Amino acid sequence: MTSRDHGARRWSLICLLLLPAVVLPLWVSLYDREDPKLFGFPFYYWFQFALILLAVALTLPAYFLALGADRADRVRHGLPAEPGRPEGRDGGEAR
Amino acid sequence: MIDHVDGVAFGVFIFLFLVVTVLGFAAARWRRAKDLDSLDEWGLGGRGFGTFIAWFLIGGDIYTAYTFIAVPATLYAGSAVGFFAVPYTIVVYPLIFLFLPRLWSVSHRHGYVTPADFVQGRYDSRPLALAIALTGILATMPYIALQLVGMQVVLEVMGIGTDSSNWFVKDLPLFIAFVVLAAYTYSSGLRAPALIAFVKDTLIYIVILVAVLYIPSQIGGWGHIFDTVTAGFADFNSTNADAIAAGEASPKATMPPEAAQWAYASLALGSALALFMYPHSVTGVLSTRSRSVIRRNAALLPAYSFLLGLLALLGFVAIAAGVKVDNPQQSVPQLFEEQFSPWFAGVAFAAIVIGALVPAAIMSIAAANLWTRNIYKAFINRAATHAQEARQAKLVSLLVKFGALVFVLALSKDFAINLQLLGGVWILQTLPAIVIGLYTRWMHRWALLAGWAVGMAWGTWLAYGVKSPVQDHFGGPLVNLPGTETKVYIAILAFGLNLVVGVVLTVVLRAMKVDEGVDQTRPQDFHADLGDPGVEEELDAETPAHA
Repeated sequence: MTSRDHGARRWSLICLLLLPAVVLPLWVSLYDREDPKLFGFPFYYWFQFALILLAVALTLPAYFLALGADRADRVRHGLPAEPGRPEGRDGGEAR
Repeated sequence: MIDHVDGVAFGVFIFLFLVVTVLGFAAARWRRAKDLDSLDEWGLGGRGFGTFIAWFLIGGDIYTAYTFIAVPATLYAGSAVGFFAVPYTIVVYPLIFLFLPRLWSVSHRHGYVTPADFVQGRYDSRPLALAIALTGILATMPYIALQLVGMQVVLEVMGIGTDSSNWFVKDLPLFIAFVVLAAYTYSSGLRAPALIAFVKDTLIYIVILVAVLYIPSQIGGWGHIFDTVTAGFADFNSTNADAIAAGEASPKATMPPEAAQWAYASLALGSALALFMYPHSVTGVLSTRSRSVIRRNAALLPAYSFLLGLLALLGFVAIAAGVKVDNPQQSVPQLFEEQFSPWFAGVAFAAIVIGALVPAAIMSIAAANLWTRNIYKAFINRAATHAQEARQAKLVSLLVKFGALVFVLALSKDFAINLQLLGGVWILQTLPAIVIGLYTRWMHRWALLAGWAVGMAWGTWLAYGVKSPVQDHFGGPLVNLPGTETKVYIAILAFGLNLVVGVVLTVVLRAMKVDEGVDQTRPQDFHADLGDPGVEEELDAETPAHA
């Protein structure tokens, strides 16, 4: 598999992961209701708090996928896979 | 001059304010660089902030004191769409996660300090870069002014201030707070708000957590609070049914009626898209030390959204606790004063006021960076040295803040709020040039400029035409989607037209083979990271303890 396919596939996966965190909060009719209540909170309120937790839960795996996707992108654009280890380049060493 | 002021609350407040003042000036020595005489140092804090510092800095930047005052105020006032701040601050992070690392990389490779720098480098168009810079400054000014409005509200509730009719004497405390802020921003640059943000956010977290755990338990629990508020709003709506039918009053609700769902969603989306186009958020992001810091923060910053949601609900808590204020913005400070013991009320007030200082400092720095890089250096002194740039930015940061101060004190508060509303509409019009430019050079520079102009003009005109029960113009952020009865956020409509104009004109201009300028960037620049050539750590002294 080329690094291009590799990077592109990872980015699609990342977008797929992050999609619910964008779409669900904007899909207001889904949660604009009173019941079921939780600890006295109407569904409308506690669902939106739950969405924050969901967004975090989705962003974490996306973060790790992005590390690999970044590496693939770097190789594709002629950069070393890891920064700070210049291969025959006169670059700064990461301190 | 000071009457009805609780001595303990006032003492705690002054103490915390002094602590922050000392920190602000000491920040010049924190993570010290060789000198502060360049924009990378003064205006971006050395571009070296790690995950931990960036979390406080960007958090302090995005969740401003005005947010903390205004969002619960909208719930207190029974605005059905007020809670949109929560979905808005959820939606924004995936966008930051995807777009901003690219902006970070290209900016580090080329030494861009502002979004307009990037636009200039990418599109080789001084008019377009100027448009982006002016929009940024224009949208930021009223935002700074609103931080002052937030501070003013707290000072009023504390009873600090005088009854003098002279605006200068009346607002002397606000004036003093602002002089202090201006002085340490001038001397320490972005390091000052970064350091103060630790104190500010720690205080805010403590205050809000105590408030949402303690106060509801005192007044009968959350279920009781929601029931009281719902009953109160229903009562209001039936008492004022005639006025509501005549359009002289707005009905109150705890959640959006079906007709307002699109308004709610479009406000959330439009604000999220606009947020990271604001110069101060870009400044915060560019001050980080690597791409991963931004992504990690996209996962960590939602903690603030949770806090914001809880804080918003304090508007309902205030209703259930029987807080009666004419200005809804005073509801939460008033709630704190009534429910907390004086010393903790002092902590709470200090938290909000300090919470205004942090974003006000970052915003004035961001506006100063824009002025210096994209107006002064681009048009006035093209050969400016780093030291001249830094001096220019420092002076302009003062000017911007005093402009905002005069704005709030001499003109009406409503004017600042109206302009802030417009600011969101305006800043979103810079998105095509910046975000699309991060991915492709397909858009033509003149098409982007035309799209921007059309979006600005139409958005402003739409906002001008919005009436509310209290205002003839600029009465709110919503208009009917053309040809329907569905209300949507003006910024989204203007943005849509901006995009259409941009795309259509790009096709036309490309067909006519109009010169598209020289692109300074290379594809690999959008992937550069710390350690790559040209992306070295800018800090050269004492390795910081936290990074």
